[in-house]
Formats: sequence, structure tokens, C-alpha cells
Amino acid sequence: MNAITAVPDQAAPIAQRLPGDRDVWIFICAELLMFGAFFIAYIVNRASELAVFNDSQRTLDRTCGVINTLILISSSWAVVQALAAARSRRPQLISTYLGVAIALGVAFMLVKVFEYTAKFEAGLSMLTNTFYMFYFCLTMIHLMHVVAGTVILTVMWNKARAGGYDSGPLQGLETGASYWHMVDLLWIFLFALLYLLR
Amino acid sequence: MDEKTSLRYELISAWCGPAFFITFIIFWVIIGHNLPNPSPALSAVDLAARYIENLGQIRLGFIISLITVVFYMPWTCVLTVQMWRIEGKAPVLSLLQLLGGALTVMVVSFSAMFWVVAAFRPERDPAITQMLTDTGWLCIDLQYACTTLQMVAAALVGLADKRAVPLFPRWVCYLTIWCGISFFPASLTGVLKTGPFAWNGALSYYIPYFCWLCWYTTASVYMIKDVRRRMSGASVPATSRGFVPGMSV
Repeated sequence: MNAITAVPDQAAPIAQRLPGDRDVWIFICAELLMFGAFFIAYIVNRASELAVFNDSQRTLDRTCGVINTLILISSSWAVVQALAAARSRRPQLISTYLGVAIALGVAFMLVKVFEYTAKFEAGLSMLTNTFYMFYFCLTMIHLMHVVAGTVILTVMWNKARAGGYDSGPLQGLETGASYWHMVDLLWIFLFALLYLLR
Repeated sequence: MDEKTSLRYELISAWCGPAFFITFIIFWVIIGHNLPNPSPALSAVDLAARYIENLGQIRLGFIISLITVVFYMPWTCVLTVQMWRIEGKAPVLSLLQLLGGALTVMVVSFSAMFWVVAAFRPERDPAITQMLTDTGWLCIDLQYACTTLQMVAAALVGLADKRAVPLFPRWVCYLTIWCGISFFPASLTGVLKTGPFAWNGALSYYIPYFCWLCWYTTASVYMIKDVRRRMSGASVPATSRGFVPGMSV
């Protein structure tokens, strides 16, 4: 039964169209523009207080940053696998991979909480200096996106478990996946700017 | 009330959108000296001096703003009615939007009122003037969630609108949600006094306020179009509700 509906989907030139709801890309582009503004503000402020930024950056826990980067890249991979499973109509695997992506999203939050706690215990806050203001504000705003993305993944996971992607269009799944990749992409930029840029 | 009159009131209410936008820019932004707005890092004495230097304009700007802000109310009402037609029997989101719009008026009003009070006795202790200014800015910058809810509710109903010609195109709905979310950095104004996240910063002031007005103007255009469409349809024997039965995706 599923094979009949799967044929046109597989035949569709997936690479030639925008995945997910076309209009959601307005939202994603707007999000990228917003973070673009954050990054420009960071670069501009950094240029005027280079020494403060470089000194403060040394106190960041780069290991946590690297772990979180790996976590998000892996979760993006899991989402790609979930979508691939849905496209090849292997419903069992969709929820498994989405579950992995959700677990990784939660792991990202835990690492972040650990990192923030260590900073607060060391007496650092967003009022310490301009670098820490950016560090806390940008990572917290990004963290809110991770939380929202994890909620979206959980909704999709629930739907997958109920068999919602066994047949029919996969637009919802593609839309959620696109959002999650955006969250991942933004973190890669944030990681490079906050932890690495010298 | 006959349909023609009713539609006319709807149209006037929808045009209150542009009226709010223009008067807000003139009185709140320009005459009220909010471009640029006072820095939270200003000392109490400097802030008091800023009021004294621009006393007449600040008073005029915010006192008139307190009147023209109510243009937001008929606009919110017509949006509620337009959403209600889409939502049908249980208009939860339409009513949420109505509440959000009504409370937005109060949030904007109260902040301007604190500044009017600050300008009322410019000779008083500058520390009090500073506190009133702080209260006004934090009042408008920290209570944006009412407006965010209004916007998200409107967007969700817009996305569920399956008529041939919907109230809002889908891209407007997603833009609306994003504009509502763009207010979140403004919460940082409760802590920071300098930088782009302070209440005079690009990321907590210029971008969120621009997004708010950008949504408001875009929504106004489509709301006016919707009323006009029904006005032109009212003469022919179509349903006044503008439904196209059987249209679903």
C-alpha cells in the first residue's frame, strides 16, 4: 500500500525544490537576518574593545563549546536520517532518529546550563563586560531557539509514532528539519565568533 | 445596522491602522524625541537637562500620543472580526488577539504617561525624573509579550484561512510570527544599561520597534484590502461573510 504512494515522492526532483513549506523560508531568512544583525553588532563592538574581548574569550570553556558543536551537528545528522527514513517509507526509523535528535537537543541544553553555572560561580555575568554581555545574550537567545526546535522535534516525534508520516506529504517534517538545521547553522557561527575568533 | 454602514465602519476602523502608524511616528518618535531615545546610561542630571531642553516638544509628543494610541483599538477590533469569520464558532484566537491588542494600547499608554509625569515638574530632584523615565521604558520594553500574543494569534488564524483569497498571504503570517519573536531581546533592557541590548540599542529598540511597525503596516494593507473586497462583493448577491465554500487544501 505504501509503495504506491512512495513512488511519486521518490521520483520528485527533491534537490530542485525548496524543502518544506515555501513560506516558512521567509521566517528562516528573517531569523538569519536577525542573527546577522547580532553578529555585526558583536564584530563592531569587538573592534573597539579588542583586548577585553580577547582576554575574556580565554576564560570561556572551549571544551563545552566543541562538545555542543558536535552535539548539534550530530542531531542535524539524525534529523537528516529521519527525513531519509520517511522518504524511503521506513516509518519505524523516523521516530528513532527523531528521538536521537531530541536527546541531543536536551544534551545541548544541559551542557549550556553546566557552562552558565560555572560562569556564574566564577562571578561572571552579562554585566561583567561587553564580551560577556554578548556571550550571555547571544547564547541565551540561541538557547531559546534550541528549546523551540526541540519542542518542534518532539511534536514531529509524536506524530511519527502515531504513524503520521507513514504515507502522504512530508512537508511538515521537512519544515521542522529546515528549522533545526538553521538552529545548528547559527550555533556554528556563534561558536566561531565567541569561542574561536581572535 | 445595514450592511453598507457596517462595512463603512469596518473600513474606517481598518484605516485607523495607517492613522496610528503616522501619528505614532510623528508624535511618539519624532516630537517625543525618541529618535534617538534617551540612553539608560545617562546620569540623572543629564537626563533631567534633556527634559528641560526639549520640554515643550516632549510634553506635546507624549500627550498627543496618549490620545492617538487609541487608533490601535478600532484596528484591533476589525482584525478580531476578520479573524472571527475565519475561526468560526469558538473564536479563541480572535479573542486572544483582541486582548493582546487592547493591552498593547495600555502598555504603550502607560509608558508615555510616565514620561509626561517626568516632564510635569522638570525642576524636581533629577533622581525622581530618572526613575519615571526608567519606569516608562521598562514598562514598554518588558511587557511586549501581550503584543507578541496578539501577533501570533493573528498569524495562526491567517495560516488556517483556506479561502480562495485569504485575509493574509502565508508569507505575511510567518513574517508576523517572526516579528513577534524579534521582541524577545528587549527583555534584556531590564538588566543592561549600555550596548546593543540596552533600551536605546539596535537589537532591543530599533529592530524590534521597526518589526512591530512593519507587521502593523503590512497587516493594515491586507485588512483594508479584505474590507474593500467585501464592499465590492456586497452589491452582488454573494454572502456577506466572503466565504468560498469547499475550498480546502
